Amino acid sequence: MLSVKNIVKQYATHRALDDVSLEVEKGKIFGLLGPNGAGKTSLIRIITQITAPDSGEVFFNGERLNTKHISQIGYLPEERGLYKKMEIGEQVLYLSKLKGLDSAEATKRIRYWFEKLEMKDWWSKKVEDLSKGMQQKVQFVATVLHQPELIILDEPFSGFDPVNADIIKNEILELNKNGATFIFSTHRMESVEELCDNIALINKSQKILDGTVDEIKASYRSNTYWIEYEGDYPVDSNDIYDVLQTENVKANTLVKLQLKENRTANEALSLLLPHVNIHRLDEVIPTMNDIFIEKVKGKNHE
Amino acid sequence: MNKILLIIQREYFSRVKKKSFIVMTFLTPLLIAGVYAIIGYFTYKGIKDTHDSVAIVNNNKTLTEKLQTDKNIEYTYIDKNLEEAKKSIGKADYDYILYLPEFTLDAPKGIELFGTKQAGMSLNKRVSGDIEELIRTQKLKESGISQSDLDKLKTEVDISTKKIAETGAEEESSAGASTFIAFTAGVLMFMFIMMYGIQVMRGVIEEKTSRIIEVMISSVKPFQLMMGKIVGIALVGLTQFMLWIVLTLAISTAAVSLFVNKDDVKEIAAAQAQSQATTGNPTMAAAATQAGPIGDIQKSLTGLDVGKIVMVFIFFFLGGYLFYSALYAAIGSAVDSETETQQFMMPVMLPLLLGYALSLSVVTNDPYGSTAFWLSMIPFTSPIAMVVRIPYGVPNWELALSMIILVVGFLGTVWVAGRIYRVGILMYGKKTTFKEMFKWFTYKN
Repeated sequence: MLSVKNIVKQYATHRALDDVSLEVEKGKIFGLLGPNGAGKTSLIRIITQITAPDSGEVFFNGERLNTKHISQIGYLPEERGLYKKMEIGEQVLYLSKLKGLDSAEATKRIRYWFEKLEMKDWWSKKVEDLSKGMQQKVQFVATVLHQPELIILDEPFSGFDPVNADIIKNEILELNKNGATFIFSTHRMESVEELCDNIALINKSQKILDGTVDEIKASYRSNTYWIEYEGDYPVDSNDIYDVLQTENVKANTLVKLQLKENRTANEALSLLLPHVNIHRLDEVIPTMNDIFIEKVKGKNHE
Repeated sequence: MNKILLIIQREYFSRVKKKSFIVMTFLTPLLIAGVYAIIGYFTYKGIKDTHDSVAIVNNNKTLTEKLQTDKNIEYTYIDKNLEEAKKSIGKADYDYILYLPEFTLDAPKGIELFGTKQAGMSLNKRVSGDIEELIRTQKLKESGISQSDLDKLKTEVDISTKKIAETGAEEESSAGASTFIAFTAGVLMFMFIMMYGIQVMRGVIEEKTSRIIEVMISSVKPFQLMMGKIVGIALVGLTQFMLWIVLTLAISTAAVSLFVNKDDVKEIAAAQAQSQATTGNPTMAAAATQAGPIGDIQKSLTGLDVGKIVMVFIFFFLGGYLFYSALYAAIGSAVDSETETQQFMMPVMLPLLLGYALSLSVVTNDPYGSTAFWLSMIPFTSPIAMVVRIPYGVPNWELALSMIILVVGFLGTVWVAGRIYRVGILMYGKKTTFKEMFKWFTYKN
């Protein structure tokens, strides 16, 4: 639904985005990852039409991005705030009217959301009387109220306590189930693994990695397994696998094996099965966090 | 367009609903009326209550005419020498001793006025005026003019100033009222542009520091947000201005009809005219006119085209406000907090202050001179200079030209400010310089 094609954005002395392209599929949650200053915010600002690229194009549902798409995008920036002196209800109403909703419809939806997120009595409160977490909830409501097709969240969980973070996460999943597409910019890799279908990793103004989370993780597999077993049997390297590590956990033994080329886990198991009682076999898959660090560090050291 | 309306609405109502706005709007006319009432009261009381008793020690044989007592001053000729008189000044029933030494009528010298307190300016003028009058009378009498002829010489002259308009029609005008209107309009214009310009700047800074700006400009264009704010605040200014006019008129009319006696007003006006004439200082005269009771002003107002003055004021308020508030918006966008605004405020404030100072001095003295002309053409100063000039009458072509230049001027500042604003609002944490602002201005898109 969103294609970003060869975007270049140059600021006075530094190039924020260098030939970045990516595709966001409809109904997916897309993770936009990268260290600070990589160019994530610059890219988001181009998608939300806050700034324009120096070259390259963005297509929204096949159409060149234009002002009429503003009402179809909801954006929760990392640097977010509200008018301090304005009442909450009035404020959300104002923001959603700016997105093109009419008063009556907006009021109805605000009531629905306020009810849903347990903020019913907040309507006439002022922002300065709310805690930071409460403000974040208000901002989240303001972002999704006009039922945008594409919702862009920049670090949505910062400032939330675990309970509220969970509430918001569930809302995101529910909106996603109902058809909303998300772009999700964050450093917190655990939420990426939980939520994202696809990711793109941007570092130093360039996209250095993209794909589905599963694919990417798969490509970082190293044919390494943890096997936990019961039984007194020494496991040594042979022509099927190398033993990388052995540990004892209570009565059980834990070994880390790396399969040799063209060997399968089944072969390893059949070798072991006659001798020991297998409790568990896990493939060692790098976390997104590992991949992130490896990619970014590797790149930065070049 | 619809979005700009929404922004204007919010900017307008969020300000008009504030307590401080309501308090300011209703209190200011009361304060103005109150200040006038106090000044009026004391001027009136001061003139009515002035009563000095002056003892005269006359050592002059040639001066045979005597100073005449009236209700503000009492002259008593005493039969003591100066030393005795000085000794008894504390106990006796006179406050001052006027010493008239021996002198010829052509060169009166050595006249002294003693008192337990320093004699005021007005007493000094009064006494010296009386003595001059006395000497003149005596000289005239000595040259053979009789008292009855002398009395006939005293004629009161009252000049009414009339201006011949371009159409050839004569218009009643009043120099005092014009000056009063010019001063008031100039001061108000300066205040309004400053007050509301700074409100625009504060508004922009607020959006920046509260970090709502990025949410906003993902829905609206920066230019829409800036113009919405500027226009919304302009409407607040107009609302306040209209309310002030209505309330001030209502309150002062009520006050005048309740408390001021018609005869007193005339008396005070006459007394003031006299004091202006003797001091001979135009600014004092203007100040005196300003301080005069409202009834006096209302009387003089009839000679002026009030409707035109108000229209011109509103036009130049809007124009001047737009011109400056755009600059203020640009400043607001370039900084992170109000404390950082100083270095940028100076260059914006200077022309406004200069226009203000020159308008109230040079322009009121010579409203048709070349300084007045140029000040009322340059858009940095024209809003103030033009409203100061307008009560004296300005040729229509000058007015039109100045208006056109101002419109072009504010379109220019709005354009420049818009280009700085769109970049500035997204910049955080950097100390901005003029060089940087210029760079923002030149950014594409």
